[in-house]
Formats: sequence, C-alpha cells, structure tokens
Amino acid sequence: MSTASKILVIRGIVKLIKQPAAPLMGFVMSLFFLVVYNAGIGGIGSMSEFGNGGYLAFIFPITIISLAMGSSAGAGQTLNADMQSGYFKRLYLSPTPRWILVVSPMLADTLSTVLFSGVLLEIGAIFGLPFQFGFLSIIGILLISMLWSITLCGFSAGIMLRTGQHQSAAIVTNAVFPLIFLSTTFLPRELISSKWLLAVSWGNPVTYILEANRYLLAGTSPASFFYISIIILITTSTLSIIFALSSARKIKI
Amino acid sequence: MIIEIQVKNLKKKYRNGTEALKGIDLEIKKGQFFALLGPNGAGKSTLLKIMTTLIKKDSGEIFIDGINPENNFSQIQRYIGVASQENELDPNETTEAILKFQGRLFGMTKKQAATRADELIEMFQLVSERHKKTAALSGGNKRRLHCALALVHKPKVLFLDEPTVGMDPLARHTFWKTISALNKFDKVTILLTTQYLEEADKYASQMAMIIDGKIHFAGDVADFKKMVQPDENLSLEDSYLSYAKSFTKTENNQQYEYGK
Repeated sequence: MSTASKILVIRGIVKLIKQPAAPLMGFVMSLFFLVVYNAGIGGIGSMSEFGNGGYLAFIFPITIISLAMGSSAGAGQTLNADMQSGYFKRLYLSPTPRWILVVSPMLADTLSTVLFSGVLLEIGAIFGLPFQFGFLSIIGILLISMLWSITLCGFSAGIMLRTGQHQSAAIVTNAVFPLIFLSTTFLPRELISSKWLLAVSWGNPVTYILEANRYLLAGTSPASFFYISIIILITTSTLSIIFALSSARKIKI
Repeated sequence: MIIEIQVKNLKKKYRNGTEALKGIDLEIKKGQFFALLGPNGAGKSTLLKIMTTLIKKDSGEIFIDGINPENNFSQIQRYIGVASQENELDPNETTEAILKFQGRLFGMTKKQAATRADELIEMFQLVSERHKKTAALSGGNKRRLHCALALVHKPKVLFLDEPTVGMDPLARHTFWKTISALNKFDKVTILLTTQYLEEADKYASQMAMIIDGKIHFAGDVADFKKMVQPDENLSLEDSYLSYAKSFTKTENNQQYEYGK
C-alpha cells in the first residue's frame, strides 16, 4: 500500500473517530440485541434444538450482522462529505489512484466494524460465550464480520455515489433488514414451523452467515455452513467493490 | 521556446448533446502566462477539465510536457497544479493540516510537508489563519488557501480557473503578486481563465479567445488588441467587448459569426 493510500485510510478512520455516530449506532444496536434477547428469551436456550451453546451462542451472531448494518449506513459518509464540500475534486487531482479514493473510506468503515466486533466478542466472552475452536473461532468470526462489512459498505457507498445523496446509503441496510427475519436469527431451523419461511431461509445468505458463526462459537451447525458463507461473502464483497468502483466512474466532477 | 501544452483537434460532446469543444488547436510554450478568454459556456472550463484529467475527451490529442495526460495520469498530476472556480476544502480541517495532508498525498515526508505548508502559509499571508478550520475562514482566505493547495507540490504548470472570484482587492493584489512571481522567477507556466479582463491584461502575455467551442484567436495579447482596433490603444477588456459584440448567434444553425 502506498503512503498516499495509507494516509487516506487513516484519514477515513480519523473522520470516523471524530464523527462516530454511524459505527456507534451499529455497536449500540448490536449490544441491545444481545442483551435484550438473551435476557428476554434466553431461557429457551435450554431446549435441545439450541445445542450445548445455550441461547447466548445462538443469538450472538446477529450482533455481528447488525453491527455491520449500522456501520454501513455511515459508509460513504466521508465520501459524501468530501463531495459536498468539493474536497473530493482536490483529492481527485492528486496522483493517488482514483479507486483508492473510494476504497479507503470503505476500508476505514470495515476496520471500525472489525474493531467493534472484537469488543462484542470480549463482552460475549465475559458473559460465557463459548469458542469452539478457541482463537481460530475469533479469527473466523472477525473474517466473516470483515467480509460482511465490505459487502454492505461497498453497496452503500456505490448507491450513495450514484445518487449523490448520503441518505440513500441506508437503502442497503433497509434491504438487508427483512432478511434477518427471514432466516434462523431467533430460532433454529428445527423450531421454525412455517414451511415457506424455512424454504426462504435456505435461500437467504444471512442464514449461512448466522450458521457459520454458530459453527465457530458452539459447533451447533455443520462446517459446510462456514465454507458456504465464506464463498458467499467473498462473492458479495467482490461484487460490492466492483459496484462501488464502477459508481465512482460515474461521478460528475 | 519549448512547447509545454499542445492541443490538437480536441472535441468534446456531452451526453445532453451540447458540443462543448469543436476541434480545438492550441499551443502554450514553457513559462508563458496564457489567458484563455471567452464568454460563459464557450468551452473554457471543459477544455481545462480535459487538460487536467477531470473529464475525458471524445477525440483529439493533448500533450503536457510531451506527456499524454490520459495515459500518465499520476505523472501529470505531479506536474500540474489546479485551482478551479470552487473552493475545494475540507471544512473540518485547519489551514495547516489541510496543506500538510496535501503534501503527504503528493508523496512528501511529514517533515517536507510541514516545511512546505509553512512556506505557503507565509507566501499567501495565512499566518493568522494557520490553526483555524477552513470552514471558519473568510471567503478571500478560503480562495488563497485553495490556490496554495494547488502549489503544494511545486507544479510546473498551473491551471487557474477564475481564481480570484470572491477575493477582495487586497487579497487579489497579494494573490497576483505571488502568481506572477512564480511565473517570472520559477518559470511556472500559467493557464488562466478569468472574466476579470483587467487581470488578464495586466499579467498575461499570450491569450486565446474561445467562442462556441472554437478558438477564434490565439497569440499575443497585444496582437489581439491590434487586430480588433489597429488605431487605438484599447484595454484588453475594451478589445474583448468590441470583438465579442461583433459576434451574433444565428438562430438556425447556432453558429457564431463575426461582423454581423
């Protein structure tokens, strides 16, 4: 990574620290999910369908999902601010490769998501969250968090660049939100009685991400979910980067 | 004299059908102070945007110091400096921080960037504004900082697109003193577009008149004045007005014609 690229990523991180509303909102939302659901319906975790990880290990993956969703609403925040102020043009006239101008704020958003994922894992560990494969489980969850964040940030930034409106970055969050309820977020497949919901959950990428996390935490899902989710996330994150970069080419200077 | 900027048969048509450039040919030599003049919508900004790699041409060729900007974008950005019409500032950064960051973007070390920032703060008389956020600067100081940013990497060619809009007379005086010194002593080639013709008259030695996407005159400012009114010693503004008024846009073919 060139010096210019590094300082652009650092600038994106500093901007997030100075204006932390979006990542903090994602973190608070995730913590809220974790605490409220575990406190409210954590008792059902003793049912055999939840495996031996308890409800905490079952519900924890949604915090990873929602964390990136919160942060991605802020994706493009730096980009948008730069475009509104005209500073993006100044950056555009530097020798820095132009794709870095788009990717660097995305990287900053992703780094912040991974950082907060680490904090959530620590909080979970304090409350007894199991890690089936020890440190490797942590690495695996952070990897999933990173790829999921890139996916959401890329699409959010791309839409923002195309529409020129920062608010439109929330379209991605709004689109993903229903997917949470159409998957195995709150109950394992064995307890989902509706056949259509069960069928939809199989075609829902969020299901695979949740189950991959559960495999890493309590080993309650097969390893295949982890591999499938990694393939899905690599594909979606690649597509989102391509989308963001192609959107950057359409910016009117 | 060595050619610094060479433009050959440059054409650009926007998606909305506007033919902004209809085959521009232009040569600017090293160290010249060149004014690109013309009415609003004539194609000046489009030409500058293409030269500075902000937008792409449809056809034709451009060379800056013999380099094709489209194929050597990074190299060209190090060679040129651009100060456009709008202030392109990060409102949340201080004057000093934004200058240092600009230096770092151009590959300077932290120390080099800090030294250069100090030089430019002195040069553009922004010492008292050093620690102020750019959002808190006056309009004139914003323009000065904006122009200082274009000079951080010591460009060999400086594109100035309406650079003094919003500056008070004192700020304009300071600005032109700095720019003309760069041209005179550092041999920086200047390409200026402006509607303040007294500025072009005072500082530019060469000019081009662009109307409706075509170059109508290119050469010495003095020659342009002579061409318009051989017997009188007119200012550039008077010559420009006299020349521009002699053009009328015909209703049907949307062409400008001289002498109607």
